[in-house]
Amino acid sequence: MTDPPSGSEVPGARRSIIRKKHDETAPNLKPILIMEEVYKYFRRDIPTLRNVNLTVHRGEFVFVTGPSGSGKSTLLQLIYRQHTVDSGRILFSGRDVSRLTDKSIPFLRRNLGIVFQDFKVVPHWTVFENVSVALEIIGAPARVLRVRVSEALERVGLAGRGNDRTGALSGGEQQRVAIARAIVTDPALLLADEPTGNLDPQLAIDILTLFQEIHESGTTVLFATHDHSLLQSAPHRLVVLDEGRVIEASQGIRAWSARQPAPAETGT
Amino acid sequence: MNLQAIFQRTQRGFRNDLRLHAVAVVSLIVAFLCLGTALLGMENLSRIADRWSQTQHLTVYLRADASAEAVAQLRTSLTSLREIGKVEYVSAAQARELFLQQTSLGAEPSVLGEDVFPASLEIDLATRLAPERLEKLAQGISQFSAAEEIETYRSFIGQFHTLLEVGRTGAWGLSLLVLICVLAVIGNTIRLAVLNRKAEIEVLKLCGATDAFVRSPFLVEGVLQAAMSASLAMVLLLFAYLLLRGRVESTLTAFTGVSSVFLSPLTVAAVIAAAGMLGGLGSAWSLRRYLKV
Repeated sequence: MTDPPSGSEVPGARRSIIRKKHDETAPNLKPILIMEEVYKYFRRDIPTLRNVNLTVHRGEFVFVTGPSGSGKSTLLQLIYRQHTVDSGRILFSGRDVSRLTDKSIPFLRRNLGIVFQDFKVVPHWTVFENVSVALEIIGAPARVLRVRVSEALERVGLAGRGNDRTGALSGGEQQRVAIARAIVTDPALLLADEPTGNLDPQLAIDILTLFQEIHESGTTVLFATHDHSLLQSAPHRLVVLDEGRVIEASQGIRAWSARQPAPAETGT
Repeated sequence: MNLQAIFQRTQRGFRNDLRLHAVAVVSLIVAFLCLGTALLGMENLSRIADRWSQTQHLTVYLRADASAEAVAQLRTSLTSLREIGKVEYVSAAQARELFLQQTSLGAEPSVLGEDVFPASLEIDLATRLAPERLEKLAQGISQFSAAEEIETYRSFIGQFHTLLEVGRTGAWGLSLLVLICVLAVIGNTIRLAVLNRKAEIEVLKLCGATDAFVRSPFLVEGVLQAAMSASLAMVLLLFAYLLLRGRVESTLTAFTGVSSVFLSPLTVAAVIAAAGMLGGLGSAWSLRRYLKV
């Protein structure tokens, strides 16, 4: 049995989630996520992911892109153990997540913030309830919970909206609620699975900007998207998936595009 | 695990599925009312049976040809016994008169002959006798030549006990039905609640909730739902009992010799506790089956 990753303690009352600005030009080279020779099959003859090797360092912002069906979501799902690898291993904070027992998976997820394309917020709950649930799960005291939810809502631009019913918010606002929920526990790694997929282009840029602000405060971000306009708007490391294989373009979209004969615009 | 958080989430669950829980509570109240009524009936019938088992009355029917001396001798012998308090002679004419008074045949008394009822000695016992002792006393009296038949009312009480046993069996059957009903209602309510809160459960799991964290409010909901229903049923039963008692208590007491009682606080507490446990069981069964976390 593999122990769950450490760090699932209640976020300290005074450990503010608004941290000092992070400088990506001086990255912390300690890896937070290592994927080694990862294979995942949903059909016996066609691997969804094949021989994926990827290292993400602490404090990095990494785009994961590729056409629909290329395996972006699967890659993220393997990290938060929605699925298990068929071969290879995934080390998160030095622990092999593929070897975690079912009972340990919740403790892995407490160290991750996850944002989805379809928001996954509970529409009949208030904004406060949707964000605070992540802290309730780790047993945060009520006082800490109130402070940290307020801070998270402030960071995503929803200060004072805690009592609003989430279902009554716009799509962009609902995604901000989901982001607040993902960051309220100050996770070691923030996974975003097409978080702008349901939003119009301007809102998508706003949400990406929000992720960048979160990243600047020191959070490692793995952002899956097929939207090239987003990739072009931010010069982060790029991981391209194609038919389950990884082509890594560490210089960003422009460097990767330059190597391609004709960079195809991919859609959902 | 934080109990306060569990109760807050349970409260949220009740609030979100208010209609579902209200329907379940009403159904369970009906079930617990049936059970409570059966228990109340059994409680009072048992009291009547106990009271009548300790009967203090005997009737000695006299032979039609018994001489006055033989009757007097019997009477003297009976009054000398410690267990016997009072002996009263009822002649055949007095017995006929009494019967006519207690029935509605007053308009046509001629339909009954003068000597249709035998003369008797009505005996009130000084102390309550055990059934075996009473039987022995009756055997002793039957040795006297004036005595034709002795009525100890044991056969009637025996029939009443048989009726009571049937009632008890019925109450057990009803308890079993209520048990099944509670399990089914709670199980289905929790199943529907799980379906209604599918999105919520998914969010919880993705945020790192353990199985126990996800399941705990549903379990508490099941326990509270059943315990609340049982409590409300007991309150309603008490109101109904008090209402009825005011109207029929004097007649019942006169007829049975026993005043009615409500279920003891211990019985009420046991019903509520058992309901809570059943609710928890029903909920756990449903979660095991329908909540794959």
